[in-house]
Amino acid sequence: MYNVVLEQFQHYYKSLRKEDLSLLHFREREFAFLQFDEQTMIRHMSFENEAEMKDYLTIRPPAHLYYSSAYYQNPQDSNMGRKGWIGADLIFDIDADHIPTECKKNHDTWKCLDCNEGGVGFPPEECPNCKKKRISTNTWVCDECLLVAKKEIFKLIDDYLIPDFGLSEGKIEICFSGHRGYHLHVIDDSYKILNNDGRREIADYVRGLGLKPDLHGFKVISKKDPLLMGPDIYNKGWRGRLAKSVYAHLNKCNSKELKKLYLQEKNEDEEEYRERVLQKISGSPTWWGGLSEAQIKKFYVIALEAIKDMACNIDERVTIDTKRLIRYPNSLHGKSGLRACRISYNDLERFDPLGDAIAFKNGSIKVYVKDVPKIRIGDTEIGPIKEKDRKEIEVPMALGIYMICKGAAKPV
Amino acid sequence: MVKMQKRVFLTKEDQANYPFLKEATNFVENFGVNLRELSIEDYPSIIPRATQWIQDNIEGNMFTTNIKDPDSDILAYPLALAFLFGLKKEWVINRFATSEQKRIKTLLLNENPEHIIEIAKSGFGWDLESININQEEAKFQFSISVANYLEIAPQFHSAEWKLINRYVDKGKVYLRNLEYARLLSGAAENKIKKRAMEEEVRKFELPEKFKPYLINITKIIEQKKDIYDEETPLIWVEEAKPPCVIAMLNDIESGKNLSHMARFTISTFMLNVGKKVEDVLELFSRVPDFDEGKTRYQIEHIAGEIGSKQKYKMPKCDVLRSFGLCVGPDALCEEVWYPLIYYRKKIEEMKKRPSPVPQEQSEELKKVRKRLQKNV
Ligand code: SF4
Ligand SMILES: [Zn+2]
Ligand SMILES: [Zn+2]
Repeated sequence: MYNVVLEQFQHYYKSLRKEDLSLLHFREREFAFLQFDEQTMIRHMSFENEAEMKDYLTIRPPAHLYYSSAYYQNPQDSNMGRKGWIGADLIFDIDADHIPTECKKNHDTWKCLDCNEGGVGFPPEECPNCKKKRISTNTWVCDECLLVAKKEIFKLIDDYLIPDFGLSEGKIEICFSGHRGYHLHVIDDSYKILNNDGRREIADYVRGLGLKPDLHGFKVISKKDPLLMGPDIYNKGWRGRLAKSVYAHLNKCNSKELKKLYLQEKNEDEEEYRERVLQKISGSPTWWGGLSEAQIKKFYVIALEAIKDMACNIDERVTIDTKRLIRYPNSLHGKSGLRACRISYNDLERFDPLGDAIAFKNGSIKVYVKDVPKIRIGDTEIGPIKEKDRKEIEVPMALGIYMICKGAAKPV
Repeated sequence: MVKMQKRVFLTKEDQANYPFLKEATNFVENFGVNLRELSIEDYPSIIPRATQWIQDNIEGNMFTTNIKDPDSDILAYPLALAFLFGLKKEWVINRFATSEQKRIKTLLLNENPEHIIEIAKSGFGWDLESININQEEAKFQFSISVANYLEIAPQFHSAEWKLINRYVDKGKVYLRNLEYARLLSGAAENKIKKRAMEEEVRKFELPEKFKPYLINITKIIEQKKDIYDEETPLIWVEEAKPPCVIAMLNDIESGKNLSHMARFTISTFMLNVGKKVEDVLELFSRVPDFDEGKTRYQIEHIAGEIGSKQKYKMPKCDVLRSFGLCVGPDALCEEVWYPLIYYRKKIEEMKKRPSPVPQEQSEELKKVRKRLQKNV
């Protein structure tokens, strides 16, 4: 890596206060580093305290710094048995990279490693030309996709963690990863001993996986007189979510969609039918009775469709893993030069990842830009610059380092 | 919804019935009964109770505690565990734990809510709350915190125990009807299995002086091992296949491509129930992306004929579950942790069931089946 980057990283770590590196259960964590230009991660590190860690970072500033979500009796031991797993934080990861968004067309490209076919936007699962799956990507982020990631975090907290899991804001720690997404840590000891299976259930819950509407009341109890033992829009959790989704869908669908749902049963037209059903399911108590079985089956379909909108787009592997390495808050991300930062729930709305996470606030740098889409760091925008138009420009330090770290520019 | 709970006290009898209670383990500790000391020889009346406990649990009879002398049974339990762990047989431990689960579940079904709450607290540190809500299809009696619920519920591998299919509100999961008993007894079962995996227990050797007491138990183990012991060889019985295997075979039948894990599972299963590499190969010749050379190599590897020379084991139920290969378990699935045990149990069940088919006819049937099997 270029000297200027190393210097900037070093300078940043020097300026940190040791409180900036504070971490719950510090002594019981394993730490891991990846140095610039090195392939293998240095693992199984442990430190006496934050000050000792700070000294280390100042001497050898890493490209990436991680800590274990798990707590161990002997974090420095590489043998899992002797390491002694005690427990692990419950963590959610939301990454803009995993969410298909429109803006990806503007800043992402992919290429098939087997036949060189390529394109823009979210990469296909297999190459449309040769059907192979070895696909390389060149991805960037923009305000739009980072906003989508932020919305997912809000959804996770406001729709799931607070109402369903009963967590308070104080038990939730949000962290911008310094690159493409957010981590969310649940600070609550009752979850720490859960094994993979227990954590998978939590991941499935927020992802809407494995949901069986018939276990939430979408169940015909008698064939003769089909009666739905309804979920109620006033119910909590998924039960209420399902009822609300049917209501919302029925309420907003246009007449073409309505025709699909409508089954002529009485002397009523579609609109009358819509009115009647909406009234039934918003009554208190809800009453889904008097509908045919075929009709109920249609609701079942709506409910399953609606799950997709309500589910939360997390990377489930992070939640399920009980020994995950997580980016250290207030460390620098080697692929962006941005700071991984903690954000309180109240500040999340205002938080600007491409501004507030800037670590190098002073100075400027002359760089030779090879190829970038339109990007922004802080108040400066640049690009798109195509490969054929590559050029030398002077930009604010943070933007320069950002492009260098992404491999799109080099210092002059 | 938090109600003031009447505190109830757990009696000596409770401690004998529910040996996982804190009070019971404290009592035992005061007597210095633990794997290191086993000073229990000073209490000879307890040994027969301990062996009885194991015997009943292996045979699947419900062990009943002696209400006239609960102290003896409280002490008999840790001794029973010591014997059990000293026997060093995984299947015996699993069998013991499963029978304990059933025993405890039965007892819990007759307890009143105050008692149940106290048992959950003392045994597992769980905070159950008594509630009383009727939803159309279910009555909710208790709620439990999501975290406590998830310690146990995932191991029941069924859709209705999945968190997403539960009524969840403010960190609590609502338990329908009598589900509390399944959850608590499942936790008791888990405790035994977990203990068995601890370093101290795995290293434990039962002192010689106790061995004479285990003669009878060893005999029973010998009789039962055909069903439960993984080491006993198996033969192919078409009708005894577990649901997961049936589903995967159906997929092959209908020409679907199988995941790597599914192929591995089917291969290990077939090779474990007496099929040969050729049989498995023929089976896979039906999948669309069949590549004979590659497949043969893989199967021979799994069979232990090449490579590491070790026959691979079939994956356990919870592994299959996490790969989405466990399909809606039936009643027998509830009792097993390993598809091959399902298979063994099913065979045993079939032996017990008198065959309604007359002899000659069944010979004919066998032939037909044989032909069918070839086409499987
Ligand atoms: S419980 Fe076990 S045996 Fe039954 S279907 Fe699932 S994996 Fe197969
Ligand atoms: Zn290609
Ligand atoms: Zn974008």
